[in-house]
Amino acid sequence: MATVKLKFDGRAIEVEKGTNLVDAGKKAGVFVPHFCYHEGLPVVGVCRICLCEIEGRPKLVAGCATPAEEGMSVVTRSQKVRDARAAVMEFLLIHHPLDCPMCDKGGECTLQDYTIAMGAAHTRFGFEKNTWPEESVGGKLILNKNRCILCLRCVNLCKDVAGKEEIAVLARGEETYIGTVAGQMIENELAGNIADICPVGALTSVDFRFKARPWELRNVPSICTLCSKGCNTVVGFHPRRNEVLRVTARENHDVNQWWICDRGRGQFHQFHDPSRLTAPARRRDGALQPVDWAAAIAGAADQVRDVIARHGQSAVGVIASAELTNEECHLVKRIFRDGLGLANVDFPARPQPPVVYPKFTIEGDRNPNARGARALGVGPGAGGRSVADMMRAAAEGQIRALLFLRGGPLETFGDPATVERALSRADLVLVVDRVPSPVSERAHWVLPGVSHVEKDGTFTNSEGRVQRGRRVLRLRGDAREEWRILQDLGRALGALSETDPGPEQIFDRIARSVPAFAGLSYTVLGELGAPLAARTADVAVG
Amino acid sequence: MPTATFEPVLTKTVHLPDSHTLAVYRKHGGYEGLAQALRKSPDEIIDVVKRSGLRGRGGAGFPAGTKWGFVPKSTDKPKYLCVNADESEPGAFKDRLICMKDPHQLLDGTLIAAYAIGSNRAYIYIRGEFAREAEILDGAIAEARRAGLIGKNILNSGWDCEVTVYRGAGAYICGEETGLIESIEGHRGEPRLKPPFPAVVGLFGCPTVVNNVETLACVPHIVTRGWEWFAGIGPERNTGPKLYGLSGHVAKPGVYEAPMGTSLRVLIEEFGGGVPGGRRVKAVIPGGASCPVLRGDEIDISMDFDSLTRAGSLFGTGTPVVMDDTACMVRAAWITARFFAHESCGQCTPCREGCGWLQRLLWKIETGRGEERDIDILLSVTDNIEGNTICALGDAAAWPARGFAKKFRDEFLQHIREKRCPHEGGSLH
Repeated sequence: MATVKLKFDGRAIEVEKGTNLVDAGKKAGVFVPHFCYHEGLPVVGVCRICLCEIEGRPKLVAGCATPAEEGMSVVTRSQKVRDARAAVMEFLLIHHPLDCPMCDKGGECTLQDYTIAMGAAHTRFGFEKNTWPEESVGGKLILNKNRCILCLRCVNLCKDVAGKEEIAVLARGEETYIGTVAGQMIENELAGNIADICPVGALTSVDFRFKARPWELRNVPSICTLCSKGCNTVVGFHPRRNEVLRVTARENHDVNQWWICDRGRGQFHQFHDPSRLTAPARRRDGALQPVDWAAAIAGAADQVRDVIARHGQSAVGVIASAELTNEECHLVKRIFRDGLGLANVDFPARPQPPVVYPKFTIEGDRNPNARGARALGVGPGAGGRSVADMMRAAAEGQIRALLFLRGGPLETFGDPATVERALSRADLVLVVDRVPSPVSERAHWVLPGVSHVEKDGTFTNSEGRVQRGRRVLRLRGDAREEWRILQDLGRALGALSETDPGPEQIFDRIARSVPAFAGLSYTVLGELGAPLAARTADVAVG
Repeated sequence: MPTATFEPVLTKTVHLPDSHTLAVYRKHGGYEGLAQALRKSPDEIIDVVKRSGLRGRGGAGFPAGTKWGFVPKSTDKPKYLCVNADESEPGAFKDRLICMKDPHQLLDGTLIAAYAIGSNRAYIYIRGEFAREAEILDGAIAEARRAGLIGKNILNSGWDCEVTVYRGAGAYICGEETGLIESIEGHRGEPRLKPPFPAVVGLFGCPTVVNNVETLACVPHIVTRGWEWFAGIGPERNTGPKLYGLSGHVAKPGVYEAPMGTSLRVLIEEFGGGVPGGRRVKAVIPGGASCPVLRGDEIDISMDFDSLTRAGSLFGTGTPVVMDDTACMVRAAWITARFFAHESCGQCTPCREGCGWLQRLLWKIETGRGEERDIDILLSVTDNIEGNTICALGDAAAWPARGFAKKFRDEFLQHIREKRCPHEGGSLH
């Protein structure tokens, strides 16, 4: 890539040809303020806060719309630039309601930050401000036009990334506003990103607004587990309330760029599902009754051993899940395939129609870790059965024990009538899950698991990128992380000789023993993840 | 006539019956320019126009030949010529005369320009309010097509060119060349970020030249009479005949053709017949609403680009609006500011917010509620708009407001002291 050398506030820098002055400034350690400019969106150059001076040019230029050129000398620390930016700030605020104390964006608002940094303490405007009523525009967004600075990020996100012109600039002059037309609402599934990138409180999230002030949240880097894409997210966690209040996008150019879909954004509702399972239970007299973990693990393990003793290994089916972390998948392999020598180990595929936008795709595989599960050997052994096959075998009485590591609707596992029959006929049905499901309703043992935000662990996305999820929430009730449940069960089954204190050590074990993961560690994965070793890139994905 | 030696060429036939027809145009040598041009190479035409010194008549005064020369020669993309017939500057009505009374003169120039830049497609972008003019242009295009002047193999030259009239929907900003391009493309009339300039990336992403109607009307005459003729009219660097659209407080408002550099006083007093009712000239907006106002004692000035720039104003479209001593300067400033606030596309911050602020401040002063510091705020707001916007509309709004407030500060102060407009009942009320 060709580069150009230039000076930025006196500092010599070298940047790729075509780099604009906002980005070039970063390289020089000079912050060029910007509202409308966003790396992931077309340059519109409308807010004018990024005005910069170029030595030898009479007029100031918009930094976002001006490419760095060889020999250029950019100046931002001049009175001329300060005055121009102060002027823009003043213009932006003349009709702004200054309602920060009741604005949802307060605390993470670019306009607020810049006002503190370079705004005037007093207004010279003195006229009545233009006002507009609040309105819903769809996409789980509320539009407050009073706060809008017309940066057009929302318009361009819909138009450019989602390919839907669902929100537009209307009218002109100071009556210009952002809006939907003829009652049509924003319907694209990327709309939630608008709340992330709106530099003011004009478009705020229905889910988050008034739930908390941003500074009350602890923002933890995480990933989304709703499809195989593995979007990087930030989980906004309210420590005192032990509650995730929002999920926002985290930039990762190898995965999701700057965006996430609204499904992932709304996933946090699941974490706080009121029906969450919170205690191990055993079915007695037709009803699930709580038991303690020791009894549950020991009792379930006894039954599994009993089935094997009476009917052989082929009478046990392990229906794993590609919602499990790499660490947990590794335990599944070690315990059931290696330790117990079972061949009937598999996980259900969970396809969905992919949603393809011009610059973002919601993947067609709802499993977040199918690639990892396969790479870690979660799959049928010689003569082993697929999930649907296991259901048929159980329905016919050949399989007597079904161990589900995630429940779900019956059709997840095969023909619903067959699954129904399998569940009612089996001697032992065990399920690990977060919420009740048609499987848990028919299970003999129900062990409460957790969401990915309640445990540490890694996932391998469809492109073979290994990324970390982090424990954010404190565990509720008696629920336990699946890696812990699996280790306990593995020991009780006599199928796991060594256990580890936590996922990081399990991951190190994987890195030592599974070539695809060689060289990886939590440190290596960092915040943005790392790809599986290249030679395994062609591993078949279930 | 004060300039007895000057022979009008642009308006030579406009007074004749059926001046808009091909027959009348041809009878007076029409399309001879096109015929001669087609026998020359495009580069020769560009060279002739460069040498003539023809500067754009739309307001900015950019040399037309130079603009044509910016169009890349080696490109696979089609090239476009856009004729700017938006004539949206308040006070300007000279292009309208050509569209209405001599459309073939415009087509003649349009075809020559298209040929010179290697274009086979010209759009005439005409403001929506010019409905009759658009019809006349359409009629002229049909006539020209029937006569083999538009379409395939024009005058057996082997060169093809189509001309289409595109009617705007009524926005000042669509007279800005990139706003015009956006409008033809079917988008909101919003100027583009420059660079790239239209000569490289214009209409539909292709090299494009945008020329004003009057500019193009000059072209056939340059071709037939030679660049020396054109360059011999008017002061240095400000050459050629010019259509002056005179309006306001003059006895005989109208479009007058005279050399570039004609004195403003001559235009007002001799062409326009002076101010009626024995009143004196109080102020003149020399070239359309965006040009800073001149006081009545400043009208001994050569009406050309460079002279007016030197005087701290602008030549603009060369269409003076004359105001006599009954006119209120605060109100005139407010009317201008209101126009620009209404016409700001709303895209960039300083123009969108600043124009409305100027309008409010001026109305406050005009209605007797002003304070002295409002004048300072007004001037500061004009400074804060100027130069900080995407296009020149922001400047166009700032300049007149500043001009009125500086040139007529006393009158502004009088409004503030007396807490009322001293001209109530005057001609601008």
